[in-house]
Amino acid sequence: MAALLEVQDIHTFIGQFHILQGVSLEVPEGSITALLGRNGAGKTTTLKSILGLTPPREGKVIFLGEEIGGRRAYEIAAMGIGYVPEYRAIFTGLTVEENLRIAERRKGDLKRKADFIFTLFPDLKRLYRLPGGQLSGGQQQMLAIARALVPDNRLLLIDEPSEGLAPILIQELMGAIRRLSAEVTVLLVDQNFQMTSRLADRYFMIEDGRTVRSGAMADLLNEPDVIRRYLGAVI
Amino acid sequence: MEKTGFPLWLRRHWPGLVILTLMSLFPFLAGLAMGDPAAVPPEIQGVGRVLALAETGRAKFWQGMVIQMFILAVFAMSYDLLLGYTGVISFGHAMFFGTGGYVVGLLVKHAGWSAGAAVGVLLLVALLQSLMVGALSLRVKGVYLAMVTLAFAEFFYILAEATDFRQYTGADDGLHGIYPPPFLSPTDHRTRFYFLALVFFLTMYLAARRLVNSPTGRVMVAIRENEARAAMLGYNTFVYKLVALVAAGVMAALAGALNAFFNLGVTPSVLSVATTIDVLAMTIVGGAGTLTGPVLGAAIVHLLGYWLNRLFGQTWVLLFGVTFILIVVFLPYGIVGTVQARSWRWRAVWRERWRRIKEGRKFPLPS
Amino acid sequence: MKRYRAFTAFILIVGALVALGYGLFGPQKATAALLSGLTLASLYFLLGAGLSLIFGLMDVLNFAHGVLFMVGAYVGYTVFGNPRLILNTAPLFLALAVGIIAGSRLAPLIPNRRFIPYLLALAGVGVTLWGIRGFPLRPLVAFEPTTAGGAIPTALAQEPLSRMLLRLGQLALAGLLLGPVAARWGREDRRAAPWRSLALGVGLTLLAVLLLLGRDPLERFLLGLSVDVRFFLALVAGAATGAALGALIETTLIRPFYGRPITQIVLTLGLMFAGAELVKFIWGKEGRPPMAVPSLFAQSCRSPNLLAWLTERCSSIDVLGRAFPTYRLFIIAVGLLILVGVALLLKYSRLGMIVRAGVQDSAMVEALGINVRRVFMAVFALGSALAALGGVVAAPFVGVYPEMGSIFQLQAFIAVVIGGMGSYTGTAVGALVLGLARALGDTLVTTGIALPGMAQALRASPAVARASTVLMMAVVLLVRPAGIFGRKE
Repeated sequence: MAALLEVQDIHTFIGQFHILQGVSLEVPEGSITALLGRNGAGKTTTLKSILGLTPPREGKVIFLGEEIGGRRAYEIAAMGIGYVPEYRAIFTGLTVEENLRIAERRKGDLKRKADFIFTLFPDLKRLYRLPGGQLSGGQQQMLAIARALVPDNRLLLIDEPSEGLAPILIQELMGAIRRLSAEVTVLLVDQNFQMTSRLADRYFMIEDGRTVRSGAMADLLNEPDVIRRYLGAVI
Repeated sequence: MEKTGFPLWLRRHWPGLVILTLMSLFPFLAGLAMGDPAAVPPEIQGVGRVLALAETGRAKFWQGMVIQMFILAVFAMSYDLLLGYTGVISFGHAMFFGTGGYVVGLLVKHAGWSAGAAVGVLLLVALLQSLMVGALSLRVKGVYLAMVTLAFAEFFYILAEATDFRQYTGADDGLHGIYPPPFLSPTDHRTRFYFLALVFFLTMYLAARRLVNSPTGRVMVAIRENEARAAMLGYNTFVYKLVALVAAGVMAALAGALNAFFNLGVTPSVLSVATTIDVLAMTIVGGAGTLTGPVLGAAIVHLLGYWLNRLFGQTWVLLFGVTFILIVVFLPYGIVGTVQARSWRWRAVWRERWRRIKEGRKFPLPS
Repeated sequence: MKRYRAFTAFILIVGALVALGYGLFGPQKATAALLSGLTLASLYFLLGAGLSLIFGLMDVLNFAHGVLFMVGAYVGYTVFGNPRLILNTAPLFLALAVGIIAGSRLAPLIPNRRFIPYLLALAGVGVTLWGIRGFPLRPLVAFEPTTAGGAIPTALAQEPLSRMLLRLGQLALAGLLLGPVAARWGREDRRAAPWRSLALGVGLTLLAVLLLLGRDPLERFLLGLSVDVRFFLALVAGAATGAALGALIETTLIRPFYGRPITQIVLTLGLMFAGAELVKFIWGKEGRPPMAVPSLFAQSCRSPNLLAWLTERCSSIDVLGRAFPTYRLFIIAVGLLILVGVALLLKYSRLGMIVRAGVQDSAMVEALGINVRRVFMAVFALGSALAALGGVVAAPFVGVYPEMGSIFQLQAFIAVVIGGMGSYTGTAVGALVLGLARALGDTLVTTGIALPGMAQALRASPAVARASTVLMMAVVLLVRPAGIFGRKE
């Protein structure tokens, strides 16, 4: 199976800081791939580099068989990548409806996807006319994911969706991500290893801006030492 | 052998001392090179002749040019305390320069005060003015501050131009007849005025250097680099920015006063945006964040303005604008800043080469 | 909650100003002053809206905004009274633009050595100077204030067509030489479809040649039109020039420097200065008297009420027994129209939605697949067009003069500080408060302030009132630095 997204040895600088020093990964189509690593390992920067928000200085990013390094972020996104950033970044001054509508790439996107979105997140239907700023943290997270589902995306980059959510909401969120992964490929970053380990099929581990391990998630779960060493998490 | 005391001091400061010597000799060298021998009676000979020659012809003119450069250099240095050292973008710096001119002008001409007393009062006025403007405008940040300071400067510009105060300020004609004490007259004793300006420049340069090398100066730089971090370290950034603004304001006001004495008057244009743009250009051209940069920038901009004006007449302003844009775009760190960055790189490159050569000597390459 | 407090503050301030006016001057004078205040507010708003939108969206403060206002006024004035100048100069600009478009397309063909484009550009500057050398600008600019359908006094000012066509060629060549640097400068849109720039180039060439060949009949046609149509044309031309200049400023001075905010504002400050100088260079240092007004405001009489005015078309209208110029009502109407129009645009259009989202987080908007830079340019052009439109509208009210840019810009700055930077509502509110205060201040200083025990009332020139608005700004900074409707950073 050809990879939907392939990242080959990218190096990204932020100011003078060499944040990514050789990250490589592959996301096969139709899977949930987890990007693991401690705080500050470079996970968020990897997602931003894929999207072109912090363009990598070296290395290749290949999406749908095309080299996309050096393109502008909007062009990359328009090829079919949805981004659900850390801290949600929904537009607080816009209503829920507008938050979804702004993501349309063609007229009617929202209409076509509305049913799918509302089955995933029934709450949003009730809140449809409310300004995004009045939503709770969990609702905002739902909205941010829903926003990425409005256009026909092939890949979602989801960054720390469980951050700051109550455990019960995390359960709900996991259900939603699992269901939407039937439609779209996911590259998931989350500190909550309990969650990622149950959702993801494969993983890539980064440390200090480098890919250090990768493989099937099932294999990783058999190696508690590795998990402790790289993530500080205990199963 | 360890060098201490005077030899070390000399070693460290010799470039400055050489320049200082040249500056002190300039009027006499200029007198010998460009003075008008016909204007000096033949019976004056020796040192007296050199002194007299300096007061004639093109020597006198070029002394004037350098005096103006000293004044502008102080003005530009004061601006750089804000822009280059503290990262505060003020677009109202002309207001301090102009206030200096107008305050001494009003006191000397209309109140009949002596120049010294007027400058003393000016110190107080400039202190109050910069405190007030700073306390208000520093409540906002970044480009917003630029806008607010511009508005404050316009306030004084409008008042200087207003016809209501014509009997005092001369409105748009300006205030003329601001005479310094006769023994310092820039028309009759230009060389004396030259040394006054030189001493003034030197004092201000040393004061500014003292400030930027002090702990306060280091906090100013920290604010420029990252204000949030400086605040997190426990510094009251507002106070430090205010200190920078007051220091800059007072320095600029003094430069403005000397400018008024040298030109024997002021016009409202010293308060206008054009003056702010001039000082901005000098600072950026020379290199913001250094003290030598604005000095060099002031000299370059003043000379460039003079020559462009002579070559192209009225349109020189537009040409100057184009040059300004090119410099801002292509030399963002200014001349001194760029040279410094380059010379560090050059030094690093040469050190590396030197190391390789030495290592090569120790371990000759296999041939 | 906060919003309600802001609205309450706003109502209180306006109420206080109105009460102050009536208390000081009595109903007659106060009403006239307040209407004048609305007129000024309308102009301040047209300038401030663009400033505020641009700042909110892209964190750029355009110090050249007043220049756009002034250029709008001058262009509108010229289209209205002296189309010959436009017909003779516009083709030259078009030729230069066509050359630059073609040159930037051809840029990949030249060897990729760093200095070559710059050498070409230097040659391009030379050719430009060669192309405009000896252009008879003075006689073209000189014109009497024309009345309706009036003719141009300098009949033989134009150069012969052959000479003009030569200049056209020279400037196109200059543009060609400048193109590679332009392409390097505006790196962004290199992948735009080639047929598009071809179509644009051909279109502009045709327009230039048509304008030039048809300059005499066109001029007669334009001057033969009624005052109303010419006034409308002036509005359109002014706004279009503003939009074009805004787009140009954004692409050349703003876009390449998004990582260097100081460079951006220093460049716009430089443009503020250079723009005023350029206007002086082209149109002269002296201002010109107010432009003629459309026929609806032209009859010299005084109508008793609004309905009567619509039929009588008087130049002034009776307000509580005092004459008030009707054209100022038009300025107020334009301000209101734009206020509502832009508000609707922001609320209901897709562009407006993107702008509102971009004010909060433009990187996220881009991550959604939206070309946010293009939106930036659109908003910059829109804001500039509003300012230029304001200039044209102001021309029959205050005339045109080279200082008008900085004078009105200062007031717009203050309005924006009072209302709150980056907030659309805030700008409208700030403009209103400032306009009213300014009109009351003007009335106050000209009628004089009589304090008890003073033999003579204290009088001053309007300049003092203009300066005193800065003190208002100081008070706002003291009480609420973010402005009435401002966001807290």
